[in-house]
Amino acid sequence: MLTRTEGIVLNSRKYGDADLIVTYLTSDKGILNAFAKSPRKTKSRFGSSLEPLTHARLSLWGKEQSLPRITQSDIIEPFHRIRENYHDIVHVSMLIEMLIALLPAGIPNSRLFTFLLNILHTVQTGEEGSKEALHLITRIRLLATIGYAPRLKGCGRCGKESLDFYPDSGTTLCSRCVTGPGSAGKPFMRLSNRAIHFYMHSIEWPIHISNRLKPATETIRELSALLDRHLTFLLSRKLHTSKFPVGVK
Amino acid sequence: MSGNVVEDLIHELTKLPGIGRKSAQRLAFFIMGMPDSEALPIAEAIVKLKEKARFCRQCFNITEDEVCSICRDPGRSRDRVCVVEEPSNLIVIENTKIYKGLYHVLLGALSPIDGITPDRLKINELVERVKQGSMSEVIIATNPNTKGETTAQYISQILKPLGVRVSRIAYGLPIGGDIEFADEVTLAKSIEGRNEM
Ligand SMILES: [Zn+2]
Ligand SMILES: [Zn+2]
Repeated sequence: MLTRTEGIVLNSRKYGDADLIVTYLTSDKGILNAFAKSPRKTKSRFGSSLEPLTHARLSLWGKEQSLPRITQSDIIEPFHRIRENYHDIVHVSMLIEMLIALLPAGIPNSRLFTFLLNILHTVQTGEEGSKEALHLITRIRLLATIGYAPRLKGCGRCGKESLDFYPDSGTTLCSRCVTGPGSAGKPFMRLSNRAIHFYMHSIEWPIHISNRLKPATETIRELSALLDRHLTFLLSRKLHTSKFPVGVK
Repeated sequence: MSGNVVEDLIHELTKLPGIGRKSAQRLAFFIMGMPDSEALPIAEAIVKLKEKARFCRQCFNITEDEVCSICRDPGRSRDRVCVVEEPSNLIVIENTKIYKGLYHVLLGALSPIDGITPDRLKINELVERVKQGSMSEVIIATNPNTKGETTAQYISQILKPLGVRVSRIAYGLPIGGDIEFADEVTLAKSIEGRNEM
């Protein structure tokens, strides 16, 4: 059975001497793994079209569930500028790792596909220097798009205002709601009003607008730490990409 | 170990890259049919390799000695070092016979998403070599793919402050090919990296 679709390459891993298994986010089939014969040979007809982040038009042969074979892959947008920028590739890799870890394969989500394309375009054309905020916003937005964003809009049980985020509840909780059997002594993070404010903006406003905000370094650090704790709880492990040095200049 | 010798061999063979259960079975049965004089040298070669081969103390090429023959060769220029991902890449570059400097094998490539961080590769060792030696140029010959490029970017960022010239091997079109069939990224990089005639 031949299927045509559009996909963004999320990752790939070597298989055998010259073959590759490619993980895509597709426009209509969600996350999908496919197999490519000999793309690693220099003269392969696949060229660079199977490199991570490439947005391509695909032809697949075989059942979606049983590793279909890629028979054709035509580049729509290579996004190679992102791959050539160390900081960008580390940050975008983090988004992709989150996506693969949190989203089960084979569940269509066309909104997510459009969202990821939008992010790649924004990162590729984004100005150097304001990228830290952009990368933070994209992480928050990605979690919101797939339904895993932490809730910071008041206490998650009663709605009362609160600055204390409880990673193992995924929400801020007020002092009244957190007391009770089993709740006492649970770890939490106290957030600043500024951080919560910026977080709400990043979720509610379109990226090209919230990207114009200039958050303080402290705010970026605070929210990055929050997302880190949140994800570590969700995945029961640290993200591989969070161990990656981005501070090198 | 299952206690069944054939099953054990199949199990061991599947640990090799690109060898699935079916191929392993085929190989195991093939080895069964080979005369002892042909089959046993394979096992002995593996044992010898593991006993004798090791990584060069300086460049991490595979060698039987403390320091490999390239690092020991007085005829090679010591002011430049070519950085590759794997020992097999070094062999290919050696075969071109145009490079006469030293090497540094990283034993892998960086991959944020797979958790392959710089400390898992021989990057610190490279930095130390550059700091100590009289190196004037580091040529980065990692693979022209995303992992190789990320590795090249990272290394160049940490080496440049040390005042050494860092270069990257050129991207280009495959010889014997046809521009019409080149993909757009390869072609774009070839145009960017064009040379004056
Ligand atoms: Zn409450
Ligand atoms: Zn050596």
